[in-house]
Amino acid sequence: MQAGLSTLNAPAPRVVLPYYGFGAIAFLISGIILFIAAPDMINHYLSPKLLSLTHLLVLGWISMIIFGALYQLIPVVMEVKLYSERLALITFFLFGTGILILVWSFWFFKFQRSIGLEIGGVLLILTVMLFAVNMFKSALKTERRNIENGFIVTSIVYLMLTVILGFLMVLNFMVPFIPRSHLDLLKLHAHLGMIGWFLLLVIGVASKLMPMFLIVHKLPVKLLSYSFYLINAGLILLALAFYFYPKSLVLTAFSLLILAGILFFLRFVFIAFKKRIRRKLDIGMRFSALAFILLFISLLLGVVSVLSPGIIGKFQVRLEIIYGVLIILGFFTSLILGQTYKTLPFIIWLQKYQSKVGKEKTPLPMELYSEKVAVLHFWTYLAGLILLITGILFASSLVIRIAAIIFIVTGLLYNYNVFKIILHKALHE
Amino acid sequence: MLQENLSAEEVKILELLKSVMDPEVAVNIVDLGLIYEIHFEENKKVHIVTTLSTRGCPLGDVIMQNIEVVLQNAYPGLEISVELTWEPEWTPEMITEDGRRAIEL
Repeated sequence: MQAGLSTLNAPAPRVVLPYYGFGAIAFLISGIILFIAAPDMINHYLSPKLLSLTHLLVLGWISMIIFGALYQLIPVVMEVKLYSERLALITFFLFGTGILILVWSFWFFKFQRSIGLEIGGVLLILTVMLFAVNMFKSALKTERRNIENGFIVTSIVYLMLTVILGFLMVLNFMVPFIPRSHLDLLKLHAHLGMIGWFLLLVIGVASKLMPMFLIVHKLPVKLLSYSFYLINAGLILLALAFYFYPKSLVLTAFSLLILAGILFFLRFVFIAFKKRIRRKLDIGMRFSALAFILLFISLLLGVVSVLSPGIIGKFQVRLEIIYGVLIILGFFTSLILGQTYKTLPFIIWLQKYQSKVGKEKTPLPMELYSEKVAVLHFWTYLAGLILLITGILFASSLVIRIAAIIFIVTGLLYNYNVFKIILHKALHE
Repeated sequence: MLQENLSAEEVKILELLKSVMDPEVAVNIVDLGLIYEIHFEENKKVHIVTTLSTRGCPLGDVIMQNIEVVLQNAYPGLEISVELTWEPEWTPEMITEDGRRAIEL
């Protein structure tokens, strides 16, 4: 095989597809849970139903698809074969079971001993360790030791820390042994997960894939380096502050470091979109562009909520929930909805048509799904998100419920396309 | 960059390669500027030197395989070889006018 090619390195589709299928269904179910748990969205963040929904979204939906996509993308970004496909398949079953148990147990959580949370937690720790082994072993083989891969490897370290801390928090509910408030620990756990795991990973993968998709070259990679060091420094300091010295001034200062790092990345994204040769954005890239806009808005909101607690007064908790919603159901969800269309059709297309290319007429990967349905769920998604934020802001369960129904419609349309792609039968088959 | 001084047969091959598409961009590889060299030896062999728009391109093998199949069909019995190079690195400036129009559509 010639260096720099990745098709022959790609894992078997049966390893990757379960992740996409599970993720898509989890997204749909989270719409249903949002409907039921609507009143909890305006209360405190430590409500069992909100914890249940959040974990279904961040693990069952976002992390699940990221795992699958990453197994597929390792050959693209690192130019090596995935260390072990068998391990990747085992991880899926452990992860899926762990998530279901955890989400179920959170729903009925009474802030006391919960065997379900313990079992779910152990399964998740095991999953993440196996995932990390697979990733690190693959990363060790790569000759492409660039900043993009630095982001990916570092993000996995934060994922491990997030899951371990989550598990310790579960134990701490039973027999308190960590001399810190649950809320400070929760914030630490959430930031390690959102910024350390999700955001660093997204930056690493996006900075490699975006130039490919948009056809743009010679981007200022230096911006990514600034971003890498600022976010990491900020996050490590913030984590230490949450634990040892959770005072608002210190937390704000360290948050600003992270913010600066994210702005450097957004500047990189902005330049990529501006310099792109491919002017027309397909549905995948439209979702991605929306995702980056939502990230920017959530950052603004984050700054407002940190810098001026006096002004927002009674809206503080609601704004913080909106901030979380904008990151999880906004930025990450929009990005994943879009990137599904940039990855999944190609996985199936290669499986069905690779051997037929040039010999008979083959469809294009983008013809494996319905563009109309994708455009439709772009708009329902956006409408659902705007309504949800409005509902939380004005503390209206009714509006949140309407938003949830629209999210369920989005989920159904998205699932239609995902399974249309996965179940695609080759022409002449 | 595509070599200069193509023979008549090599120009024919270039036209033939326009049937090979990049499945992601839906534009042919000639107009994308991916073909660097075409060497044709009468009754003997066809040798193509090509690049890809990015290292690690997930569709790289498919594109190269497609080139081979197309050439095998057009020149049965001849030795067909497709070489992948990263030198010089592909840049968007290599896209032809036709390619640019197709991408911007």
